[in-house]
Amino acid sequence: MIRAILIYLTILIVGIIFLASMILYAIPALQESTFVLPGVSATQTDAGNIESQKESINKEVEKLQVKLDKFTPTNAYIIVNTSDNHFFLYKGNQLIRDGKCSTGKNEKLTFVNSKKVYIFKTPKGVLHVQSKQPNPVWAKPDWAFLEDGLPIPPPGDASRFESGTLGAFKLVLGDGYMIHGTIYKRFIGQNVTHGCIRLLDDDLDVVYHTLEVGSKVYIY
Amino acid sequence: MKDNSSDNFDSLFVKKQHGYKIFMLLFFLILFGIVGIYTYFTVGAVRSTMESAKTEVQGAEPVNPSLIGLMKNKAWVESRLKMASDDSIGMSIDLEQNEIQLLLKGVVIMKSKIKESSISGFFKRMDGNVYFNIFGSPLTIRHLESSIAKNALRVVQAPKDTIAAAANAAVKKDTLQGKSVYWTVKLDHDIELNIQGIDSITKAQNKYKLGKGFEFQRNLKNIKNSLEHIMKFQKPNYTPEILISIPENEAKAILMAIPKNASITIRI
Repeated sequence: MIRAILIYLTILIVGIIFLASMILYAIPALQESTFVLPGVSATQTDAGNIESQKESINKEVEKLQVKLDKFTPTNAYIIVNTSDNHFFLYKGNQLIRDGKCSTGKNEKLTFVNSKKVYIFKTPKGVLHVQSKQPNPVWAKPDWAFLEDGLPIPPPGDASRFESGTLGAFKLVLGDGYMIHGTIYKRFIGQNVTHGCIRLLDDDLDVVYHTLEVGSKVYIY
Repeated sequence: MKDNSSDNFDSLFVKKQHGYKIFMLLFFLILFGIVGIYTYFTVGAVRSTMESAKTEVQGAEPVNPSLIGLMKNKAWVESRLKMASDDSIGMSIDLEQNEIQLLLKGVVIMKSKIKESSISGFFKRMDGNVYFNIFGSPLTIRHLESSIAKNALRVVQAPKDTIAAAANAAVKKDTLQGKSVYWTVKLDHDIELNIQGIDSITKAQNKYKLGKGFEFQRNLKNIKNSLEHIMKFQKPNYTPEILISIPENEAKAILMAIPKNASITIRI
């Protein structure tokens, strides 16, 4: 009796293993292979005609490539990777400098008694350097007080202005976003900012003196 | 009496042996039948997908195979040029050079070396016209699914006072470390592009064994879909696939960078 059960059970198990391996591996592999589809048939064309066609295609590709290359700025530009917090400073196709930076912390600040929200993230896309300034003074926006649980001072109040926080230089990108230095150097390489791009002093110095007003800032 | 009982016993055993054989025969016949039907339908699905792709280019002059390489190159540059006029980030996948690039306004902003890739036999059997019809222009993402949230924002309540602010600062941040990064996009022409982040092949294989891996879940989904159709005696849907493995941090960076309806150019 036990022997009979064992034999039937073995047959069942072998069968299930066979079915599973066919459905899980063999048939999907067959489906993805080239065996199930007919090959591409060759067409005969005059050899001389082929050579001239090759030449004309190559010329067209060259023209298209020239057009495509024109999209890359010839002057300096910077690329910022917000995921790895890394920047790459280029001049044409030449990499001048790269290093760590800090970008937006991807945070939404909400309030109990208000519908007001602040979103702290670095915008993606192409921005331009709108202005440059050495020894910048940080005019603290409202969120800087709200985030610290402090009351908002009136506009122009002395407590709104801080020297040194933004480092030696700032490059304004518009909508309140900037490339600047930091006193929080231990956070470089992390997503900690309110949307600005923070650099270390040496990197900031090179970036500031390489990028011009109008230079492109590619952020992804 | 004794002999008689012995005969009865032997005959019973012979009958049982026949029983096993008949059971085995019937059981495997049914199994082969199921496998045969399943194979017929799944292979048929691939062929009908190719047929419909060919119907789209019916009437076009056949492309000479000796020109296909050059024309692929032309289609590649052309579609990258079209993508350059777009304002948002696009992705270029070059399976010839094993490289993925992110482009913004025609400028290469990121490069990632492909560690491993595989493509469906469908792509290897395409003729020139079908290839140019599919890859001659940038493809658009129709649907995107990922293992990690794309650009998720952490919601934080503003503190009431400076004490609450200090407590907020001490809260540990969420981390994505340790989570597998993989994402699937459905493109035009019903093509599926799967990108997984792997730092080593062994690591990816271990994930597969644990059932957490991307390929495992993808196969399971495909089988479920096929079985559902076959139970109704219908041809299952076939989706030609491209599977790419790149370093994990780069897979994450690309996922976070590309818009949900981004353009993608592919060279095979």
